[in-house]
Amino acid sequence: MNNWEQIQGIYIHIPFCLQKCLYCDFASFPQQDRETMAKYTDNLCQEIQQRALSFPVNPQATIYFGGGTPSVLPLEDIAKIVGTLKNNGLWQKPLEATIEANPGTISLESLSTYRQLGFDRISFGIQSMQDEELRAMGRVHTSLQAREAIKLAGEAGFSRISADLIYGYPSQTLKSVTDSLQTLVLQGIKHMSVYGLVVEEGTPLCNYLDVGKLILPSEDDSGDMYDCVTKYLPQQGYKRYEISNYACIGEESRHNLVYWQYLPYLGLGLSACSFDGQARITNSNNIEEYLQGKTPETEKLDIETRLAEYIFMGLRTSYGVNLAVAEERFAIDIREIYKKEISECQSKGFMEIDRLQRTMHLTDFGMKFGNQVFEKFL
Amino acid sequence: MSQETIRNFSIIAHIDHGKSTLADRLIETTGTLSKREMEEQILDSLDLERERGITIKAQAVRLEYQAKDGKEYMLNLIDTPGHVDFTYEVSSALQACEGALLVIDATQGIEAQTLANVYLAMEHDLAIIPVINKVDLPSADPERVKHEIEEILGIDASEAILCSAKTGMGIDEVLEAIVQRIPAPHGDCSKPLQALVFDSKFDAYKGVVLYVRVINGNIRKGMRIKMMATGKVFEVTEVGCFVPKPVSIDILEEGQVGFLAAGIKNVRDARVGDTVTNNDNPADIPLPGYRKATPMVYCGLYPLDNSDYDNLRDALEKLQLNDASLVFEPETSVALGFGFRCGFLGLLHMDVMKERLEREYNLSLLTTAPNVIYEVFRTNGTVEMVDNPSLFPDPTVIDHVEEPFVNATIIVPKDYVGAVMELSQEKRGEYDNMTYLDESRVMIHYSLPLSEIIYDYFDKLKSCSRGYASLDYELHGYKPSNLVKVDILLNGEPVDALSAIVHRERATYRGRQLVEKLRGLIPRQMFEIPVQAAIGNKVIARETVSAMRKDVLAKCYGGDISRKHKLLEKQKEGKKRMKQVGTVELPQEAFMAILKMDDNK
Repeated sequence: MNNWEQIQGIYIHIPFCLQKCLYCDFASFPQQDRETMAKYTDNLCQEIQQRALSFPVNPQATIYFGGGTPSVLPLEDIAKIVGTLKNNGLWQKPLEATIEANPGTISLESLSTYRQLGFDRISFGIQSMQDEELRAMGRVHTSLQAREAIKLAGEAGFSRISADLIYGYPSQTLKSVTDSLQTLVLQGIKHMSVYGLVVEEGTPLCNYLDVGKLILPSEDDSGDMYDCVTKYLPQQGYKRYEISNYACIGEESRHNLVYWQYLPYLGLGLSACSFDGQARITNSNNIEEYLQGKTPETEKLDIETRLAEYIFMGLRTSYGVNLAVAEERFAIDIREIYKKEISECQSKGFMEIDRLQRTMHLTDFGMKFGNQVFEKFL
Repeated sequence: MSQETIRNFSIIAHIDHGKSTLADRLIETTGTLSKREMEEQILDSLDLERERGITIKAQAVRLEYQAKDGKEYMLNLIDTPGHVDFTYEVSSALQACEGALLVIDATQGIEAQTLANVYLAMEHDLAIIPVINKVDLPSADPERVKHEIEEILGIDASEAILCSAKTGMGIDEVLEAIVQRIPAPHGDCSKPLQALVFDSKFDAYKGVVLYVRVINGNIRKGMRIKMMATGKVFEVTEVGCFVPKPVSIDILEEGQVGFLAAGIKNVRDARVGDTVTNNDNPADIPLPGYRKATPMVYCGLYPLDNSDYDNLRDALEKLQLNDASLVFEPETSVALGFGFRCGFLGLLHMDVMKERLEREYNLSLLTTAPNVIYEVFRTNGTVEMVDNPSLFPDPTVIDHVEEPFVNATIIVPKDYVGAVMELSQEKRGEYDNMTYLDESRVMIHYSLPLSEIIYDYFDKLKSCSRGYASLDYELHGYKPSNLVKVDILLNGEPVDALSAIVHRERATYRGRQLVEKLRGLIPRQMFEIPVQAAIGNKVIARETVSAMRKDVLAKCYGGDISRKHKLLEKQKEGKKRMKQVGTVELPQEAFMAILKMDDNK
């Protein structure tokens, strides 16, 4: 069976957190109520049982617990979800099993338990190593807790630790961003996701910016930060394997590669999104609706949409789009269909096709102006 | 029907003084329409009129009213457009009447438009019935308003009617006053037909429908009529009246108001203000007052998508069927490609037309900043009318330039007189005179360049008087001004559609403002863009739009590709709204930049 005909990754959404970050517009909300969490866990487990058989699943499919903050969910609930996944054949011999955690919500015990349950990779939402910035973001943890968390994760037996970072946030400077990166490099973090801030409508951050309570760094300052990140991490031995992702050899996120290669994945839980190779299936992002068992929405994707998404997701990675695979999968020669677009991107220096004509990928310059490339393929 | 029981009247008022509410109430009280029907009726009219709260086209409604004297009267209410852009239409509508209700807001008193309308009504010798509206409001001061009516308008206010169109108070008195105080028409049925066209409308089935007031004679179906100004002859296919839905009738007689259709294909053949006569028994002379409505404001209209050019022309032609005052001709801009130079009665007229083109014809348009028509006197003795700044001749061949001036009437509380005068001087106004209306309000007259009114005079006037000032103006004529053309260069290339005509003394300042504004409006692109203002070859201001630093969505979370997809789509759509000018992509706002500048020095 071709890898695009099987589920290659499983995403589990845990919508709880201690406190909503100012910039966050994901389906998550502060919740310490034990009962709601238990109810959510039950529903999620039911959903796992119901949907487990709907697609053929690769026994090696990756696992990813994201949120929200999965680490605020009590260990017994995590254990129950993991158990249900295993019992229903979704968690067999995963290539990788990641759990997201907030450095302020973990302990050696919880980390050890995650390891025992089978998680082999942990992703910390660190965002910054400057306390002032963490406060401005509305994060619940401090830089000290972040260091501590990294250390504890190591002690608990996690060899694969990833950190999320943000640049371009109000009050950040080129120096503060560089310092944060440097600190994490010195802490031995081998995978980093460094995201340029996106201000989403309706977030508190958006409102603060509107009324002038917070001020974004200038376009030039953010540009400098981008240049610094994209230069500094490769110098330190990290490969930029996706627009915002950097990894030491072998440390790449297998789960995220499933998305970028546009392979089928199953997303379970509030607001989670699945893709079966033909259609997108999206769960309600309303907690009441979800708990009542509302049927997810299915959006059939036509070939043009799938092709466009395949290309712009693939181009996000340094590996680019594999033309031979695409031809086999879509029965289409991308070079023919997008002849004009490709040559335009090539002449602008955005894109290259390798000598063997096997892949097309963005140049560093093209990554910087990725949107201008992606939209050509829509 | 005897003319004795006919009354033809209009309602005149400053904007927001309650004209439409009063009209609605009269229709309702006379039982012409029920409340529910009224709402349906309202929905039928132009969306834009409802949204903007102004009447753009005149309307005529026939009301049947049983008066206290026991007789049944036919009241023809001719609604007038409520904006200074349409003064000529108002004048035609008033000419069709014997009387007018002068509505004044009891909380505001007389405003600039009230005056202008009263003067028009007096010109046409109308019986004027003052109606003081909104007396139910706590801040109403009817005594002060009465005083103003006597002092300022010189109208006897002892018989002014206190009313509230909202609550219905005083409506019966208004109806009785219409019957008692407005004279009946006194046409002559034995004379040849003379009917005044006070509005027209294009109907896809009937052709142009003319709204007419019969002065002398009568009109029947089958009659061959002649338009006295255009000389065109048509055969009447239908006559009717509005109750308020159009209803066919056999005959429109002297003194009556109604409509006629005659297979007229184009509103230009039968213009507002023209006189309809019987082709077989024509009147000797037309009714007085006809003139062609002349556009005062011009702008370029360009389709954002060049392939929409033909659609734009079709849409303009269709709109012109309904509105003879709209003029357009093809023009070519180096920057924008093929489009049309369009002339409008004023800024409101322009906005309304542009919105109708976009809404009703689904066109995406780019509008250049509006301008007036300049009279350029060349050194070789020829005179040229320039309606497009980019066609302004080289300074070396210009002897002098004249621009249109208006006589502006401003009414303002006395505390703001200083601010208004300062503003008017700054806008190159020439002070004429000032009158105290009462202890607290002042009427100021200024002669002002029309271009300054188009630019931002009205907004500034409102802000410097905290919204209290009201303004009315009429075109006065052309006067010499020291004007120069300021060109804008992007990336070293002049962009003709951004050229502006400004007063020489302000050229440097305005040039600097304009490039600063443009720098803010032009999004960063892949390369640095110098933005310069120049007079002839001399650069007077320069700014730079820096090159774009990055353009990439950072995050794709939890497999939610659709969100990313939508964001990219949105960005792509946004670019479609931009106009490629040379190597630079310009947003539409850039072309209106000259109008949207803050003078915060």
